[in-house]
Amino acid sequence: MKEAEPSTNEREFLLAALKDGARIDGRNFYDFRTLRLSFGSDYGAVEVQLGNTRVLAKVSCEVIKPYPDKPTEGFLMFSTELSPMASSAFEVGRQTDEEVLVSRLIEKAMRRSRALDTEGLCIVAGEKVWSIRVDIHFLDHDGNLVDAACIAAITGLLHFRRPDVTVVGEEVTIHTLEQRNPVPLSIHHIPICISFAFFDKGGCVIVDPTHLEEQIKEGDMTITLNVHKEVCALSKAGGIPMELDQIIQCSNIAVVKVAEITAQIQAALDADAKKRQVSRK
Amino acid sequence: MSRLDRTRTSPHQLRPFFSSQNLLNRADGSAQFDFGGSSVICSVVGPAEVKIRDEKLDRATIEIVARPLVGLPGVKDKTLERNIRETLEPLILSGLHPRTGIQIVVQTMKEDGCILSTAFNAAILALLDAGIPLKSILASVTCIIDSRTNQILLDPTIEETTHAKSTHVFVFDNKVSISSINPEDVAMDEDSKEPSHTGILFSDSTGLFTEDEFFECANACFKAAQAVHGFIRTAVSKKLEKEYQQTRA
Repeated sequence: MKEAEPSTNEREFLLAALKDGARIDGRNFYDFRTLRLSFGSDYGAVEVQLGNTRVLAKVSCEVIKPYPDKPTEGFLMFSTELSPMASSAFEVGRQTDEEVLVSRLIEKAMRRSRALDTEGLCIVAGEKVWSIRVDIHFLDHDGNLVDAACIAAITGLLHFRRPDVTVVGEEVTIHTLEQRNPVPLSIHHIPICISFAFFDKGGCVIVDPTHLEEQIKEGDMTITLNVHKEVCALSKAGGIPMELDQIIQCSNIAVVKVAEITAQIQAALDADAKKRQVSRK
Repeated sequence: MSRLDRTRTSPHQLRPFFSSQNLLNRADGSAQFDFGGSSVICSVVGPAEVKIRDEKLDRATIEIVARPLVGLPGVKDKTLERNIRETLEPLILSGLHPRTGIQIVVQTMKEDGCILSTAFNAAILALLDAGIPLKSILASVTCIIDSRTNQILLDPTIEETTHAKSTHVFVFDNKVSISSINPEDVAMDEDSKEPSHTGILFSDSTGLFTEDEFFECANACFKAAQAVHGFIRTAVSKKLEKEYQQTRA
């Protein structure tokens, strides 16, 4: 089903509000929507709610044979198919441009920034490595899928525990979760995507656009950063041309947002770990 | 005998239900249904525009999309789609909306056995939430026959399913008056009310079992399904009450 364009009234109201320095959901230009993280009962299942946008990430692992040219490298795979649950505009089996962009961005932000130590996934060189799979399910689409998916994926990876293995000679034993405590993945840094939308020929910059704002925007940009203020990816695919100092300004905003979000992820993970410890006792 | 998941004491006990309706914004209707550790979320869009290829002149086209928790959709999900579609098609009064489409998306959120039953219950709650006209309401329960004890276990977990001799999934409608059967009453006078199985909408069994075992399973699931029916009824009435209060305020 095709998506309806926003009406002229909606468009003009939104633009007029932005001119007056207000957004229609009452946020300031540089405010993120409320971020809520909830964990499932098993390791690696995270549900992220960013305002009305809802994303579910599920991390799983299996043992496979590595590529012959990279015998010690494990695998990290992402599956980011946009399901029609998020919006009826997404069709099954047909990739939209939006889907390609989202999956490319996640791939760049997570895998190419080497957030996960893939060498650490090796069990027996050339024989057995772990393959980590992150399934990202988009449940509800109210704009900014990239940021929500990125937060869900990295939180899922941080929350995930893989079964412990022991190698004696050629013999590999994979211990079940009951036999031995599972081990966390080694993660080098936490990349976080921050998306911006531009209006009024670049005169107006907003953070975390909603779906309506995304439909009306003139341009967009996504910066991926970590807490150490390192840029992992920067994507500006089309839209209006930008001034150089505007990009600097955006990255300054992103630094603050990334610190906030990382702190929130850590707090949520700590709270969950505490809860698990109590329930085990 | 205690069950393998250690929270239940009787083989006929179901895991705690949970449901939540209208939790997605973009869909016309949505619902989540949990059987303990199993959780399915379902969204409904429609009646809406439909591709000309799929258009039916006298009724609405019903499309089901099932998505697994891990990996790409495969044969298992296609079977799930087909089972749900063929059960829901006669239930939905699709003749009221000719030349439109109703799309139902089923997404597994947590997997711990009985996914098909959980999906059925989530789908019906989502359809109710979307306000799609229905002939009747369904409720689904799964049971297994344990290979070691030959006992019927209702609502099994994944762990329990590994010891199953046979698995049976049943879906019942609510034609047998639901108001007269309370979940508590069912537990008390189990044998006084002999259920009539005119209301079986779907039944799927795998494994080796005798005819008697099959009817025994059907009976046990029917009784349990009344509890699910009761739960669905309370969930819907609570939701409507809340909406009514909101419109008045």
